[in-house]
Amino acid sequence: MRKTPSSPFKTVPVDQAVGMTLAHDMTEVIPGKSKGPAFKKGHKVTEGDLCRLMRMGKNNLYILDLDENQVHEDEAVFELASALAGPGVEFSAEPREGKLELRAAYPGLFKVDVDALVEFNMIQDVMCASIHTNTCVEKGQSLAATRAIPLVIDRHHLEHAVGLARAAYPILSVAVYNPLKIRLIIVGNEVYDGLIQDRFQEIVEQKTRALGAEVLETCILPDDRERISGKINEYLDKDTDLIITTGGMSVDPDDVTKEGIEGAGFEEVHYSSAVLPGAMFLLGYTRRTAIMGLPACGLYHKTTIFDLILPRLMAGERPGKRDLASLCHGGLCLNCTPCRFPDCPFGKSA
Amino acid sequence: MQDFDTLLKGAAKAHGHICPGQVVGVRMAMLGCRLLGLDTPSAMPQIKKIIVYVEMDRCATDAIAHVTGVKLGRRSLKFIDNGIMAATFVNLETGKAFRIVSTETARDLAPGLMPDIADRHAQQLEAYKIMDDRDLFTVDEVRVDVPASDMPGPTRFKATCTRCGIIVRDKKEVFKNNEILCRPCAFGSYFKPVKGSINEENPQFAL
Repeated sequence: MRKTPSSPFKTVPVDQAVGMTLAHDMTEVIPGKSKGPAFKKGHKVTEGDLCRLMRMGKNNLYILDLDENQVHEDEAVFELASALAGPGVEFSAEPREGKLELRAAYPGLFKVDVDALVEFNMIQDVMCASIHTNTCVEKGQSLAATRAIPLVIDRHHLEHAVGLARAAYPILSVAVYNPLKIRLIIVGNEVYDGLIQDRFQEIVEQKTRALGAEVLETCILPDDRERISGKINEYLDKDTDLIITTGGMSVDPDDVTKEGIEGAGFEEVHYSSAVLPGAMFLLGYTRRTAIMGLPACGLYHKTTIFDLILPRLMAGERPGKRDLASLCHGGLCLNCTPCRFPDCPFGKSA
Repeated sequence: MQDFDTLLKGAAKAHGHICPGQVVGVRMAMLGCRLLGLDTPSAMPQIKKIIVYVEMDRCATDAIAHVTGVKLGRRSLKFIDNGIMAATFVNLETGKAFRIVSTETARDLAPGLMPDIADRHAQQLEAYKIMDDRDLFTVDEVRVDVPASDMPGPTRFKATCTRCGIIVRDKKEVFKNNEILCRPCAFGSYFKPVKGSINEENPQFAL
């Protein structure tokens, strides 16, 4: 047997290889019939394999000779994926080229503990790359991939990485959407007076329905602060998870939706976001109900702040002032034609 | 693999009666195994190589389980509640997979094959025994990437429901409102507790 001191590989005569682990796939060619792997990398050689190996013309085998501190990449990546994959994240049992792809087990909002993922990637010889946190994902969608970098990884590094991921569990997860009960208030004298036809209702219903929520009730109001406050209070008294108002959020003298919302007695109200389109956005809460004030940009732009915050409310989050400010980096929509959201930088600040 | 008659007899015994569904199930399983290159799927070592996804919980499912040896408790039988007379046969070793769907048009062909049998049930049963595979089924080669958490073998994944404390196996937990929950806690369940069933008023249920 030959073995270099640092190498996990050695060459072994086939008749002495029983119980040892093959270092690579071994292809068998049966002329005119088939060509394929007779034995896969990682296969442990048995007595019964010897005849076939000899028939394949193998006198020596290239095998893995791991000491107790060395772990093969396929075994290591399974440990890494198991530690990284939180609820709603699954992965294949078979690594491909040393990698395991992590996928969404159900539809929802993909969440990444970005700081923990960075720390994970600081550990020698392991890596995990993911899509952005707060991305809406479908069942089966690719979320991340992980691998051990070398073919054989030091057990100490593997245990360090697995330990970190377990301590921060879950680093990767998919949050299910709550089927929120939503009520919609469309504000604007021009709509109320019938001068123009509302288009917001269709947009809001389509975007909420896509995430499994339902708009239970819709009303149209003029730019009247008292009536806006009154309708909000009426909706708050009902079984409402989310109130959405549309229009009346800018600085025009007629625009009083913000004042109407503030007058309805919310415990927490944040006006303005670091997102374009959607700077004049309002987000507020009572203990039971959230409210979103959508500016009129939502009528023109396909994707706005609404598309960034709605999924997070649906996932049970309660974004605040800092969350709205943190959207600044990546908060500028490039108005591409066609729109590729969510496969673009918009709203992808961590 | 055993011959068709022997397998059908065994399937009928395991299921409790003979019916057209048994015939369809046995033939579907035999075709699936043939396509996967497995001739003794219910015995070692092939028993470790096969997973079958069935898309209905009707007679044919039991026949498929009998022929292939797949079992729910061994995690080699997967039930996908589609209400479709179909099954997908997966060879874990080669990655090959075939989805076989029982055709509805086979019913219409039965009278032509068995004109002397008046009873519709008996007519279908006998006709399905001799009907060409191409008339009885459609077959598609498919890819099934079986998640690690759905594979047979010892339990590898466990989580604790933060609400009720029950252990959830095989990554079936969900993340809802920032909590790791079992599915009954997250979505509700098929059952409703009967008030007062397990308490001092009903000591017979106390463990």
